[in-house]
Amino acid sequence: MHFAWDQEQQSFRARVREFLAAHLPGDWEAQAHGPGSGSQSVFSKKFCGKLAEAGLLVPHWPRRWGGREAGAWTAFILAEEMWEAGEPRGGQYMNVNWIGPTLMRFGSEEQQAHYIPPMARGETIWCQGFSEPEAGSDLASLRTRAEKHGASYRINGQKIWTSYAGHADTCFLLARTAPGRDGISVFLVPMSTPGIIVREIPSLIGEGDIHEVFWDNVQVPESALLGREGQAWDIARTALSLERVGIPRFALATKMLHRAVSMLERSGRFGCGAIEQAARARAACEAARFYSYSIVDQRQHGIATGPEASAARFATVMAERLVSEFVVEHVPEALSGAEAMMLAHHQRGIVAGIASGAAEIQLNLIASELLRLPREPR
Amino acid sequence: MDFRLTADQSALMQAIDKLAGQFEAKPTEFRGFALSAAELERELEDGQYFDIARVPELGPLGAAMAVERLARLPCTAEIALSMLVRPRLAGDWPRPLALIENGRPGRFVASARTLLVLEGESVSVFEPATDEVQPVESLFAYPMGRLKRSIDAKPLPAAEAANVRHWLRVALAAEISGLLQAAVASAVEHLTLRKQFGRPLGTFQALRHRMAECAVLAGGVRWLALKAADSADRGDAALAAMHAIESATRVCYDVHQMLGAMGMTLEHPLHLWTYRMKALISELGGRGGHARAVAQDCFSAAPWEA
Repeated sequence: MHFAWDQEQQSFRARVREFLAAHLPGDWEAQAHGPGSGSQSVFSKKFCGKLAEAGLLVPHWPRRWGGREAGAWTAFILAEEMWEAGEPRGGQYMNVNWIGPTLMRFGSEEQQAHYIPPMARGETIWCQGFSEPEAGSDLASLRTRAEKHGASYRINGQKIWTSYAGHADTCFLLARTAPGRDGISVFLVPMSTPGIIVREIPSLIGEGDIHEVFWDNVQVPESALLGREGQAWDIARTALSLERVGIPRFALATKMLHRAVSMLERSGRFGCGAIEQAARARAACEAARFYSYSIVDQRQHGIATGPEASAARFATVMAERLVSEFVVEHVPEALSGAEAMMLAHHQRGIVAGIASGAAEIQLNLIASELLRLPREPR
Repeated sequence: MDFRLTADQSALMQAIDKLAGQFEAKPTEFRGFALSAAELERELEDGQYFDIARVPELGPLGAAMAVERLARLPCTAEIALSMLVRPRLAGDWPRPLALIENGRPGRFVASARTLLVLEGESVSVFEPATDEVQPVESLFAYPMGRLKRSIDAKPLPAAEAANVRHWLRVALAAEISGLLQAAVASAVEHLTLRKQFGRPLGTFQALRHRMAECAVLAGGVRWLALKAADSADRGDAALAAMHAIESATRVCYDVHQMLGAMGMTLEHPLHLWTYRMKALISELGGRGGHARAVAQDCFSAAPWEA
C-alpha cells in the first residue's frame, strides 16, 4: 500500500489540465449552469469531440471501442479533473462512465456497433429512464409496460426526474415485460421515436436538468431490447455499481470550499466558528476522496466492488453536504449571483444524496452487506 | 497509488494479528476502567515492533497499521506514541512516552520514561524521575497520571515542536481509527444478538442507519490516518486528526445508545474503546486545535496547486 501518485498518473492529470486550460472558454466559470441546459448540451458535443480527438474521452475503454485500456485510475483522474472544472462533458459523463461499458457487456453486436462509436466520438447524449411517479427508490415497483406485438414492443407509461431528457438522443429505459421483480427489461430507445413526450420540470438544480417523459404507444423493434427480457435487474445493478463511485463530487466541493475560505479570509471573516466548520468539511472531503480511491483501486485490480462502494458514496454525500452548508452559512451571496460556479456547485450538490439511489438505500446496503446486521422483515 | 498490501506489509500484519490474537478477549472478571496489557507491551518490545517506522520497507505507514490493529484490542498499552512519535524525536528518548497538555492529567504519564509537555504553543521533552509523576483515578480507559509539580524543561525549537505536533496527530488518528472499528463491531454484535419486540435490534432501520453512518465514519478515519502516515504531510495529519475526533465524538454517543443499559456496565467491554476515544478527543487542543492546524496547513494552498 502506498498513497503517492506514480509518474504516469501525474503526467495524465497534467495532460488533462492542459487540455482544459486550452479548450474551456475564458468565461467558462461565469457561465456555469446546469449540465442539462441547452447551451451546455451543445457545448458538450463540441468539447467531447475535441476530447475524443485528443484521446481523452474514453481512454479506459477497450481498444476496439476507441480506448487504450488505460485502467480505472485513469478514468477516475479524468473524472476528477472534469468534475472539478464544472463537468464540461455535460450529460456525456454517463456515457463514458457506465452506459458505454454496460452496452459492451450486455449489448448485441448490432447495438454495440450502432451506439458505442458515437459515444466514443462525443457526439451523443443519453438519458436514463429509471424513476417513475410511483417507483423511485423502490425501483422494482415500476409500471411502464413494454408489450410484445409480433416483432416489436409497444411501450406505455411515464418516467420522471429524467436527467438530460430534453436534449438526449437515446434513452436507457427500464420497462416491465412481465409481472414481478424479474419482469423488468432494458430497452435502448431513440428519443425521436413517435409517442415520446418530454416536459421539463422547473427545479432548484438548474435549467434543463430534470424532466417528465411520457411514453404513449411508443413502438420499438425487438432489437431495442438490451440483453434478455427480465434481465434489467442484473444490468441496472452493473450500471449503478459503476455510477455509485462515478462522480467525484468531493473534487469540486473541495475547490469551492477553498474558494469560500479565500473569500472569507480576504474580507477578514474567517474566524473561529468558520475555521472549525471549514476544517470539518475539508476533512470530510478528504475522507470521501480516499474512500472513493479505495473503490477505484479495487476496480484497477479487477476486484469486484462490494458494499464499500455504498460507503464511499455516503461519505461523498456527507462531504458535499458539509461544504454546501458552509457556503450557505458563510458565503450566502454565492446563491444570489455573486459566484456562478459556487451557485452551480450548490445546485449540483442538491442531488448528491438522491440521484442513482437515495443515500438511505446506501445505508441499508451498508447495514446488511458491510456490517452484516440482520435484515429488516419484509 | 496502490492500496494492495506489499509483501512486507502483509507479513507485518500477519505477525501483529497473531500477537493481537492472544489479547482479544476481555478477562471475564475484569471490572475496572482501564485494562492495561503489560504482557502485550513486553511482547512488542521483545519483537522490536516499536521500531517498525524505522524499517525502510514499512516506515510510518506500517507503524500506523500496527497501531490501528492493536487499538482494536480491549486492553491498552503505550503503543502509538512509541511507534509513530518517538522515531521523530531528535535524540534517543526512552519509551514509554506520554503527553501532558497544559498541566492536565495524561495517558500513561505515571509509567512514562519520556514526557512530552505541551504548554500553549511550546513543546518540551524530558525524562521524569519516578517521584515526579503519580497515577490518577479516572473514568478514561487508559491508565492516567499527572506530574506532581511543574517542570522547567527547555522548549524545543519551533520547527521541531511543529514536527512533534504533526506526528502526535498521526498517532492520534491511527489510534482512534482502531478504536472506532472495535466500538462499531461491538455495537453490531449487540444489535445482532439482542432481541426486543420479538426481533433483533439490528433489524430496526432507525438503528441500522445510525450504525451504517458510524461505519462510514470509521472507514474514512482509517483512510485518512493511513494516508497521513504515508505522506508525512502536515496538512494530511491535521485532516486525519480532525476527522478522527469528529467521528469519535459522534460514534461514542451512538454506540452507547445502541447498547442501552448494557453499555453503562463495566462488565461489557464497550467503554474500553469509547472511553479511550473520549480521552483522545481533547488532546492537541481538541476540535479547535485540529481545525487551526487544518486552516494553517491545508487552506493556504489548494490541493490541485500542490
